[in-house]
Amino acid sequence: MEKRPNWESPIQFVLACVSYAVGLGNVWRFPYLCQMHGGGGFLIPYLIMLLLEGVPLFYLELAIGQKMSRGSIGAWTAISPYLGGVGLASVVTSLYLCLYYNIINAWSFWYLFHSFQSVLPWAECPINSNRTGPIEECERATPTQYFFFRETLNISPSIEENGGIHTGQAMCLLLAWMITYLFIVRGVKSTGKVVYFTATFPYVVLFIYLIRGITLQGAFNGIKYMFIPKMEQLANPNTWINAATQIFFSLGLGFGSLIAFASYNHYNNNFERQAIIVSMINSGTSIFASIVTFAIYGFKATVNYENCLERVRLLLLNTFNIAEDSITNDNVFTWIEKLNTTYPVQFAEIENQLEACDLESELNTAVEGAGLAFIVYSEAIKNMPLPQLWSVLYFFMLLLLGMGSMLGNVTAIITPLRDFKVLNGVVCLFCMLVGLSFTTTSGNYWFTIFNDYAATFSLLFVVLIEVITVSYIYGIRRFEKDIEDMLGHRPNWYWKIMWTITSPLLLIFLFVTYIVNYIRGGTPTYQAWDKELGKTVVKEYPIFGQIFIGLLLVSSVSCVPLTALYVYCQKRKRGNHLKRAAPWLNCGTL
Amino acid sequence: MLGKIFFLLCLSSAWAEDLCSKAVPPEAYYVRLSIKTALGDKAYVWNDNEMFLFQATLAFAMRSQFSGQEYNVSNIVVCDETPRVSFWFVVTSLEDPSRLVSRGDVEQAVRKSRNRINSAFLLTDQTLEFIGITPTLAAPVAPNTPPWLIVFGVVMGAVFAGILVLLVLPLIQKKRKKNQPMEDEDSDEETQVKTAENGPERSGVYNMSFSDDDKFTQM
Repeated sequence: MEKRPNWESPIQFVLACVSYAVGLGNVWRFPYLCQMHGGGGFLIPYLIMLLLEGVPLFYLELAIGQKMSRGSIGAWTAISPYLGGVGLASVVTSLYLCLYYNIINAWSFWYLFHSFQSVLPWAECPINSNRTGPIEECERATPTQYFFFRETLNISPSIEENGGIHTGQAMCLLLAWMITYLFIVRGVKSTGKVVYFTATFPYVVLFIYLIRGITLQGAFNGIKYMFIPKMEQLANPNTWINAATQIFFSLGLGFGSLIAFASYNHYNNNFERQAIIVSMINSGTSIFASIVTFAIYGFKATVNYENCLERVRLLLLNTFNIAEDSITNDNVFTWIEKLNTTYPVQFAEIENQLEACDLESELNTAVEGAGLAFIVYSEAIKNMPLPQLWSVLYFFMLLLLGMGSMLGNVTAIITPLRDFKVLNGVVCLFCMLVGLSFTTTSGNYWFTIFNDYAATFSLLFVVLIEVITVSYIYGIRRFEKDIEDMLGHRPNWYWKIMWTITSPLLLIFLFVTYIVNYIRGGTPTYQAWDKELGKTVVKEYPIFGQIFIGLLLVSSVSCVPLTALYVYCQKRKRGNHLKRAAPWLNCGTL
Repeated sequence: MLGKIFFLLCLSSAWAEDLCSKAVPPEAYYVRLSIKTALGDKAYVWNDNEMFLFQATLAFAMRSQFSGQEYNVSNIVVCDETPRVSFWFVVTSLEDPSRLVSRGDVEQAVRKSRNRINSAFLLTDQTLEFIGITPTLAAPVAPNTPPWLIVFGVVMGAVFAGILVLLVLPLIQKKRKKNQPMEDEDSDEETQVKTAENGPERSGVYNMSFSDDDKFTQM
């Protein structure tokens, strides 16, 4: 029998977990939440949730993986045959994640490769065919938005309209999958070496960016804006819910990746300490990344504000033919007052062209997700001196973060399937081919469906079942003994209370809140790019979109009851073969 | 002769003043200069000399466009100069000072020599504006192979090579391992055969038990 491979050293395991947990969400979701929920004050619910559910659940998954030494399906089947479905649900969710996550890496590659130009392509609008001015769509929007929506995605106006595949995107996706395959081709041996780099280099880049960021003009505005806590947000229940959800998703619980990684550990590895270390590193990175993000935000907001003032100044100069040096950016507002009173008629004519420049509102434009990473950041980068260097560094960091998480995602699928002798290459090829559909013109809208619905609900369900299973069905006493067997000491009262009471309650609460919000939210909507207006508009999903969302939500969750039912029937059938005397118990026809 | 020229000059300047006091004619073009924006500290002061230069460059532009027609500074009439440094101008025709050159002709002349006019004032298309004459933007430099494709090719090649190495290397190692025990076996056989050859000629089945054991333990 082939011996299960192991990590060459515990460091590799820790770095693999760090590489997996520290991902794009730390860079683009956490800073957004910080901004939305009261700046520095958000750290309070965040850290409380880390202690109440983050670390205990992380510990739990590592324990299961290390004890069972199998992938998620095998591990859960070993715990309770009826609950093999939990493992299957994890694999299905990881599969969905793998399908769409590598597209983000494809975008990072696209941006990275386009950084090797003398003028960054998202710095200026391209000129139209008549050479009279920039392309209209680009003029109405901004060059960075144009580059993302038109040149990178070639997005269609709505999810119903489709077009062909974007060849450049498809090539980048192919490259992303080839690199993923390269990392996992020799299993833990290759993954173990790769994570030395993918886990550590992003910190180097973040540190360089921190230095660059805080030396930028206006960076302090952003940092001040972020860190000044607005304590009234703590009274908002959404703050706590978002903190809990963020901890939960940021640690990557429920995908089966942690179980997979831990299954390659030696039996007596001290995962308790490692669980605490990795969780702390993950949260610390989020906070570190938001300092950098807010410094950059502050810079971008200040630049936009200055540009706005400049435009208003020019407008005033040109309309009233005043000497150039009489109006400066500082006294624009006093001049507006003066001119309004002295030339009211002329002023009224340009009233609608006059922009209201406000630094606060520039800082307020909170963006999350792909929008932050690819639009806002690239806008900030183009204004920095030597933008090509900063662009390359930044997108390379995004790539490392994304690839590191992909490693975990793919390992979560191939580890259980390994027991069924499915080849790594087949999984990668399959995911890539399906992923090509995200490179079509409406692909980004499908991507958003997956991003919003594929993993959220099913993970809450999976982890809830996990923690209830371990605490009550498997039994907390048995679990304690297993841990003692592995570590040499029992987990103390804090862990036991979290596993049996706090985390299940929290998860039930989050689960119910999610369902309530989903039902109350009415028809789900999405942001579509309108080329005429040059901005995103809100549209409702068509019927097929809503059905697809429902399917996504149900498909992974239903693995649990369906598998339980299947196992039940199998057992009944086997029971029947042993005692043929009771034919009415035949369940085979079900 | 001198008197005639003097008379014409007086007439044209009187005519110019006359033109300026009337409403803006349709053939006029507004010009706006943003010297301080363009040059910052090195900005020069706008005065009559600079205005003269402007008139001269425009006359030059008209001459380049319509070869043979000798436009002069006096043909370029400038009015309504503001502290912004903006004004409008018209070009009077050579034959009849009361007639104005059409907008289209002036536009063509300006477009043709735009670069020269800009450089005379150390300004650009954006800082020396002719309202109504949109600058012809430079054609975008389109390289034969987009640069991103080159970088992509390099990275793709490296990854492909990496995958090949990682897939093929263990196969080669396995082959080497297979050959190694075979070689050891051969050398054992050789020594044993050699010693056997010294004695009586070997007959019968060679006793493989020893070397067989070696084979098993190596596996």
